[in-house]
Amino acid sequence: MKAKISALMDSELDGQELGEPLAALGRDGDAIETWRMYHLISDALQGRVLLANDCVRRVAARLAEEPILVGPLPGEVMRPERARWFVPSALAASVAAVAFVGWMAFAPQQGAAPRVAPVAQAPQPAPAQVAAVARSAKDTPARLPITAATRDYLIAHQAYSPRISLQGMAPYVRSVSAESAPAKP
Amino acid sequence: MSRTLGALLLCTVAGLAQAESTPEALEWLRKIYRATETLSYTGTFVYQQGDRTETSRIARLAGPAGGTEKLEVLDGTPREILRTRDEIRCYLPESRTVKVDRRSDPRAFPAVLPEQVNSLAEHYDVSMGETRRIAGYDCQAVVLTPKDDLRYGYKLWADARSGMLLKARTFDRNGQTMEQFTFTHLAIGNVPRERLRPPRAAQGWRVEQAGVSPADLGQSGWSVGAQLPGFRKIVEVRRMLRDAQPVTQMVYSDGLAAVSVFIEPMSGRTEEVRIGIASTGAVNVYTREVANHLVTVVGEAPAASVQRIGNTVQYRPQ
Repeated sequence: MKAKISALMDSELDGQELGEPLAALGRDGDAIETWRMYHLISDALQGRVLLANDCVRRVAARLAEEPILVGPLPGEVMRPERARWFVPSALAASVAAVAFVGWMAFAPQQGAAPRVAPVAQAPQPAPAQVAAVARSAKDTPARLPITAATRDYLIAHQAYSPRISLQGMAPYVRSVSAESAPAKP
Repeated sequence: MSRTLGALLLCTVAGLAQAESTPEALEWLRKIYRATETLSYTGTFVYQQGDRTETSRIARLAGPAGGTEKLEVLDGTPREILRTRDEIRCYLPESRTVKVDRRSDPRAFPAVLPEQVNSLAEHYDVSMGETRRIAGYDCQAVVLTPKDDLRYGYKLWADARSGMLLKARTFDRNGQTMEQFTFTHLAIGNVPRERLRPPRAAQGWRVEQAGVSPADLGQSGWSVGAQLPGFRKIVEVRRMLRDAQPVTQMVYSDGLAAVSVFIEPMSGRTEEVRIGIASTGAVNVYTREVANHLVTVVGEAPAASVQRIGNTVQYRPQ
């Protein structure tokens, strides 16, 4: 079960596989304890400030109020770069956690961006709630640079823009500008 | 009580009067469209976007078949674009490439007629702005303020006599400038034909044909779900991008802003695909993956609108 909970945190389970660990989290105190421990390890590894004591209760209460959205779990965008080595046993995980928490206390903060799915911050989720949280993360996609490849789409798009009727072909300058843009692939 | 009600009513009426499009402003907008369609001119304009500016030369020779236009970028590498009613040729010296976009069906080109200006007033409040001198011309400003957050606003300055557009500013809902076009020099009428010749250096460059043909994506199981209010599909084609596999392109527009949805198979792609959103001036590009296909949404609209259209793309096998 511990391996499954770890896989759940890493968004590695799909539809049918999700059921078992989620059910366990709903009824089994040990499973919930494992879930919390793995998140503590994750928080320590990612250099996140530890959550307040009653955070679990407050997040759960907020989730209970939110509308239920069911959607697919996102793919590689959401997949956190988390080590798999803490899957084998709870003991090893605990030792690692203690070691890392101790180390993190003295290590300089790395100001890491919160790349991990919000799922990892919401303990005791029900299946539908996992999907809802994951969904909200998709609403803020990564910022990408404009590349030479983007220019092909811009040229193709420009040809059909009604803006041409208003302004002549001046707006076309946007589609060839990318070639001189600093950000190139 | 009745006095309060009266004051409230007055405020509401005043508010409405301020928000609604005026016939005078709509007539000015029509005048700009007509000038763009009928005038011949040469000029130099500056394109501003963020802290970047780029100067270009433009020439247009009006004619019965829609006329011919040429744009030359004067800063950096000398990129040039030649446009007739049914063909666009981009000359890109850096890659020694000519990109040709030829329409087999000229009707596919979505020209906005001056008569259609009234429908713009459904999504924008068109009002009169100030008068101002630009590049030696006395100009009248016309402001298009969007009625919702789904599109950008525009401020246009046009020559008071001819209606020729001398300056155009795109702004977001906070009034911040997204991009701006300003003529620094303009001569109306009398354009020598040699100003519209293709660049001589381009002989021997690689030619990439877009091979545009009509398409119907709905029949292959693809759909773009709930669309943005006011945006309707104006065209749907199959085309080539680079020398890769064919791509389907659907264009949605509210009459002024346009958003293109490109769908292409992921298989066979050599370069890395990155999921996310990129911006240049008033254009946002949103990339995502659906059913092992790459979906790229390009639009002159706020990032949230471009993303919203992109997120409704669906595939249901038939």
